[in-house]
Order: sequence, then structure tokens, then C-alpha cells
Amino acid sequence: MARSDRLSAVAGHGLPDFLGRTGPTAYHRLNPLTKATIATTSAVAAVAVGGLIGPAVLLALAVIAPALAAGVLRDLVRTSVLLALPIAISVLVVNLFFYPEGQTELFRIGPVVATAEGLRFAVEILARIMAISGAVTLFYLTTRPSDLVIDLERRGISSRVAFVANASVQTVPAMVERAGQITDAQRARGLDTEGSVWRRLRGIVPIVGPVILGSIAEVEERTMALEARGFTRPGRRTLLWAPADRPAEAFVRWALLVGVVALIVVRLAGILP
Amino acid sequence: MTLTLAGVGYRYAGASQAALLDVDLELRGGEVVGLAGASESGKTTLCLVAAGLAPRAIGGLLRGRIAIDGADIDAWPMHRLSQQVGIGFQSPANQLSQVAVTAFEEVAFGPMNLALPRDEVLGRTWGALETLGIVDLAERDPRRLSGGQQQLLAIAGLIAMRPAHLVLDEPTAQLDPQGTRLVTDALARLAADGASILVAEQKADVLAALTSRTVVLAAGRVVLTGATEDVLGDPRLPELGVTPPAAVRMRHALRGAGVDAGLLDEALAGA
Amino acid sequence: MVVRWIAAVVAFVATLVIGIVAAGGSFTDYEAALAAFPWITAAAVIVSFAVYAAIEFAQTGAVTSVARQFGTRTIVLMPIAIAVNVVLGQTVAAALKIPIYLDSIGTIIVGALAGPIAGALTGLLSNLLWTYVLPPPFHSDFAAPFAITAVVIGLFAGVFGRAGLLRPRPGSRIPQLALAAVIALVVVGGLAAWTYGEFYSESFSLDAFTFFNPTPDVPPDPVLVVIGWLIAGLLAAAVIGFLLLLIVRRDAGVAYVVVAGAITGVVAAMLSAPIAANLFGGVTGAGTDFLVAFFRQQGSDVLTASFQQGLISDPIDKITTFLLVFIIVAALPARMKARFPQGERLVEVGEEVAPDDDGWRGATA
Repeated sequence: MARSDRLSAVAGHGLPDFLGRTGPTAYHRLNPLTKATIATTSAVAAVAVGGLIGPAVLLALAVIAPALAAGVLRDLVRTSVLLALPIAISVLVVNLFFYPEGQTELFRIGPVVATAEGLRFAVEILARIMAISGAVTLFYLTTRPSDLVIDLERRGISSRVAFVANASVQTVPAMVERAGQITDAQRARGLDTEGSVWRRLRGIVPIVGPVILGSIAEVEERTMALEARGFTRPGRRTLLWAPADRPAEAFVRWALLVGVVALIVVRLAGILP
Repeated sequence: MTLTLAGVGYRYAGASQAALLDVDLELRGGEVVGLAGASESGKTTLCLVAAGLAPRAIGGLLRGRIAIDGADIDAWPMHRLSQQVGIGFQSPANQLSQVAVTAFEEVAFGPMNLALPRDEVLGRTWGALETLGIVDLAERDPRRLSGGQQQLLAIAGLIAMRPAHLVLDEPTAQLDPQGTRLVTDALARLAADGASILVAEQKADVLAALTSRTVVLAAGRVVLTGATEDVLGDPRLPELGVTPPAAVRMRHALRGAGVDAGLLDEALAGA
Repeated sequence: MVVRWIAAVVAFVATLVIGIVAAGGSFTDYEAALAAFPWITAAAVIVSFAVYAAIEFAQTGAVTSVARQFGTRTIVLMPIAIAVNVVLGQTVAAALKIPIYLDSIGTIIVGALAGPIAGALTGLLSNLLWTYVLPPPFHSDFAAPFAITAVVIGLFAGVFGRAGLLRPRPGSRIPQLALAAVIALVVVGGLAAWTYGEFYSESFSLDAFTFFNPTPDVPPDPVLVVIGWLIAGLLAAAVIGFLLLLIVRRDAGVAYVVVAGAITGVVAAMLSAPIAANLFGGVTGAGTDFLVAFFRQQGSDVLTASFQQGLISDPIDKITTFLLVFIIVAALPARMKARFPQGERLVEVGEEVAPDDDGWRGATA
């Protein structure tokens, strides 16, 4: 049946099928809050445990295994490595060469000395960063942003906060697009966007200014349009659908939270090295 | 469901001059009324006042009486008023809620805000999409639609609130000819179904096609009012800053040249 | 109403002090407490807000000053502000590799226009959404932990806006300009002196830069001498540039904006440094990491190096950001600003809104 025929047939018959579509794998279909809890507790645990073994184990258990199950491992590795690359390079360079507490010299480049202790510290931090990055990347690769917001709104987050979250997701690319248009317009007027740092810095102001001012100028009309559609009504609003949740998942969430808190306490109390 | 403005005046916040003075207007159910006038003549202000956004959303000072079926609406909060009077604006993109990924959710936005039961929301949304003839756009991303389609989407979103009156401030102003056609056709269908619409327009042809009655504003006051053919044929229009419809201009030109305009009328009647 | 504000400030400071002492520091030596500063500040924010709300509730039976900050207009502004934060933070910092982040412009705009709580919430949401909701390429894995910094920035921007620090004052007369300049130099100079004493003097004494070398027979390190003169030159240029700006623009507001930026910058640095140090060993992948390397080379430990780097780049960033916000807000029409909850504080005195007259009435619903 053609698309429009199908839609017409469904019209007036409840929730359209394109809303509330669930994900391709079991991991995708987990409740968004569960996935967010997994990501956050893994990241916090990676920091709390410290060392090298801890984050590596967490990486394997809480990031790589689920990523395999969800079929996103390749994307995860690619994105995660890319995102963490700048900070990873910094960590390596700074700690390898500029680690005053280090004594064991590895090699020397001119006046700077690479130390073994520095390398070890750098690797520990890197492991932690990869664990955090992996955990968060896994989350957004398997969750649609609006799903998390809808779930939170169902659980009681204010409709206005949910609005801000949802609108931000759309406003960011829209603003980039507008910045691109303004850049083109300014270039046509002779703005120089290549060249030295100073020139590029000066080139930013004629772009940033109109982008921000233009966006703020729209606030008036958008405010009126929203109010014309009942936005001022206090209290909750109706949700068309919400992601499913299961008691088992709630149990897992609480278990993870308790586990991480226990880990932090144990660590602070000095039981673990 | 009658919306009445009696002796209404409005001053924007911080303005020394009033933008509207002594406006009397009555919108009865099932009528399509046109609002004409030069830019800055008060058309937009009148639309905002009629919908209650002025002064609720934008501040400013109001004078006179606004009533729905005789009941004063001064104390009505905006979300209650939005279910009586819906207002659409010129810019198609600025009316998007920005939280909807599909046109369906965009139309459902209003009813969702009203906390109606879920089935009611779904029913109204489908109904509005069908009324505007855009059911096949339901799955599309609102940001990717054409200007005309976005305006239809905006109007559908308003209709889903089931207002008694629809106020449209120059809905075709930012549209290309295709979009204008799309919107005016949809409005004509709404009118034929008995909707009550107040539409502000610079394009006199649109007014001629849609409206039965027209009000002309100048400097915030009502200067002409009556049946649309009479108002649009009035010779004072150009000095009030309104361009008469093409047919009217042609008739005046012919008359001015001494040619009998009766032939033109016959030809137009037959077209 | 003044009672509320005073009580809130007192509660804030009191919680800070209690927190510092509990973490092992004292009035004069807060080294031990520095690592816990983000937690202490978070607690102070919550406590002072609770005190403020409690007093307002006791006085008026409702907490309207918070609700008032969140009208539709503010809610519409917030996603725009968050988008500005993310887009600028992502592109500017990445492209330019200089110690400016510009990722709090939006937060400060909301704080100034709508109020401290709105600004704080904007900051919080910016960082949380940046990590948990925004899809790539606008995604940052590491923004969420810094949420407390963004909250405090928004809070401060709101308070400064409320206090009128961000109001344009064009056509100021010489005495006003002079007063503003003096205040700015005193505050910024005082902050600089304090931070130098606390965080830098152990790594570099002033002697090392041979400005005030009382023992000329100790041979100075040439690198440090050059750096010292560079820093002195930069500082002198900054002060002269600032004074010229004041004189040319005749706008005393510039000076107060610089004060706001300097204070916010120092506080932001104090908050971010421990977080960056504990999580990432002091580096953040931004262009400022070379500073961390430099300070580490001087022998600072990770935490101290983080502070030393932050206390240079954050004040510069925040002063720049506040100045940008000042310019942007000054360019907005008064009518538009006035419709925001705190907008009147950003309007030049003289651009007032007309009073009521016979029969004219404002919104009653």
C-alpha cells in the first residue's frame, strides 16, 4: 500500500506507527534511563576505581560487551577514539614529558625528559578517559535524544525543562546553519575567514554578533506562537507515548547506583589501593 | 460564538502613541472577515489584541472592552483564551514549536499542552491534518517542509485547539506564489466548512477571494468597513495605502480612459 | 526583599567557610580544602537558595521570584542560549587553540536578562545536554562533570545583572569614568594579587623575574626573565588598553563588566580546576594544556598546575565573554529587553517605559 494510503487508513485510528518505534536490538530497547544510568555509573566507577585494571575491566564489561550485543561496536570505537583523541594527545604529551615527580628517565628530547612514572600516570588517565568516553558514546549510539527526555518527562520532570531540552536539540543545528549563511553573506562583503589567528579572531565577531542577535530577535514571535498554543497552562501535559520500563530494569538501576556509591565509600575509606 | 471588540485601544509598552484607537469589531461565527491597511496601520496589533496576546504575552496597555459571547475576557489566562481564538503569524518557520520531529507531533503540540486525554489528542490531530489536507505530510520533518506547507501545518496546529475563531496575520506574506496558492485554497475550504476567520492581508486579491466583509485600518483606527466588494472598490483605497485588486484597478483605468467598463465586468463574470 | 538577598549571601559565605574548615583548611590557609571546592560550592549554592526560598515563603507565602524568572519568554530563550554555548564552545575553542572557551555566553545572557536561577539552570542544562542528549557533532563526552561551574556562572551573571553591573552607561562624565576605572583596577588588581600570592608565588617568586631583585649577585634564569618582562608588558598593555577603551567609549559600564568578568573568572577557575585535575590529570584537550605543561615543568603538582592554568585562562575567557554579552545586550532594543524579567536592569537609565493613564490597563491574566 502506498505510504499516503496507509496513513489515511490509520488516520483517526490512534498512534501513528512512526512514533514510539523501538530499536533494533535488545540493548537498544532498554529504557533510556537504564542506559543513562549504566553510562553514568560506569564513568563514575572508572574514576573512583583508578589505576589501570579497574577502568580496563569496566571498559570491557560495561562498554564493549553491550556494544557488541547492540551491534554498534565499530561505530563506538570510531567515534569514541575520534572524540577522545585531542584530550588523549594532551594527556600523553603533558604527562610523559612534564611529570616532575618522575625519576626513571626513559628518553630525552632536548631539555624535556620523558619519565616512566609519567608514562604510567598518562596511561592510567587514558584508560579512565576511554572508559568514560566509551560509556557515554555507547549511550548516545543506542538512544534517541528525545527518548530520554520523554522518559524523564513521564517520570515527573517539568514540561518546561523537557521543552528546553527538546528545543535545544533542534536549535543547535539550526544555529550552525544560520552561522553558515551569515558567514557566506559576510564573505561576499569581503570578510576574511582564513589566515592568521588574529584575523580569524576578528572574523568571528561579525559572525557571532548577527547570529546571536538574530536568534534573540526571534524570541518575541516564538513566545507569542507558543502562548497561542496553550504553553502557559501550568502543570503536566499529555504525552503521546513513552518508552517502556520493566521492574527488572528498575532493580538493575538501583543496584548500579548502590554499587557505585559503595565503591566510592570503599575507595574514600582507603580499603582499596 | 461572537468575538466583540468595543472601543478598543492599545499602546505598546514604552510607546508614546497608541497603536490602536477606538476600534469596534464584531466577529460572528461562520464569517470570513478581511483586515486591510498599509503597513504600520495596526493590522498586526489588532490581531494580537483580538487573540489576547496583547497585553498578556507582550505587555503594553489596553483600553475598551473585549468579550466572547458577551463575557469579558480580561481575566482569562492565555491558555484558556487560546482555545477560543487561535492566531497564526506571517513567518512559517518561527511558528514551529521546535520540539516536534514529525508534522504529526507538531500539530499535536497544542492539544498536548492542554493536557487532554491521549485519545482526544490523537483524534484532534488526525482531524486537523485531514481538514487541512496534509495527512500525507504527517511523518515529515516540519523543518524540511516548504513555507506554504509549514503555514498549513501551523494552521492545523491551531485548528487542533478547536478555537471558535481563527485570526491570521498576513499568512501569505512570506510565501512564494505556490505557497500562497496552497494556503488560500486551504483557507477557502475552511471558509466553505463554516469556519470563522479574521485574516489580515496586503494582497487584495486574496481578500476578494476569501472574505465577505472587510475592515480597513489607518493609523490605528477603523476608516472603512463593509461588504468586501464595496470596500475594495472604494476609490479612497490607494490613499489609505491599500492596493486594490487587479480587476478593480483595471476597471478604474478603463473608466478613466473613457471606455465602458461593463464589457470588462461581463468578461470577468464569465471567466 | 533586601533581607532575602542578604540572608542568601550570608548563608552562601557561611556554608563556604564551614565547608573549608571541615575539609581541613582554615581562614588563612585553604590549601587542603581546594580539592573539595566544587563540592563545597555546590553545597553553598543549595543552602543559600534554600534560605532565600524559605525567607520568601515566610514573607509572602509563595516563592514567586523564582517562578517569575521562568515565563514563556525565558523558556524560549534558554534553548537559544544553550545552542550558543555549544556552538561557540565547540567551534571557537577547537578552531583557535587559544585560552578562550566562549562556552558560557548563552548562560550569562540568560542570567543577565532573566535572573540568577534561570542562568543557573541554563548552565546546568547546557552541560548535561551536551553530554547526554545532543548528538554528534555537537556532543562532548566530558562536559557533564563541569556542570557546577556553569551553574555558578549563571548564578553570578544573574546577580551581577540584578545589581546593575551590566547596564550600559554611555555618555558618562569624567568623574564617573574615573570612579569606575579605579574600582575596576582595585578589584582586578586585588584579585590578581591574591591569586598570585596563593597559587603562583611558590613556583615563581617575584625575585625570579628580576624586577625587585634585592640580591643582584644571584644569576637569574634568562627564560624566566624574558617571561617576566612579557607578562609585565601584557599586563601594562591590558591596563592601558582598558583605560583607553573607557575614555574612547565614554561608557563607565565597561569597567563594571570587567569587574564582573574577573570575579566570575576566578570563581570558575577555582571550581573547574579540581574537577579537571581529579578526572583528567589537569588537561582538558583545549588549547590551554600547554600552560599546564609549563607549570608542571616548574614543579607544581597536578592540582596546583590546574589552578595555575585555570586562573590565567578563566578570567581572560570570562572577561571577554562578559564584554561580548555587554555589547550584544546593549545592541538589543530597550523594548525587547524590558519584556524580560531582569531586562530593565540592562537598559540605560533614560530609556524608560511609559506609565499608566486614564482607562489604560495592563495585563490582568
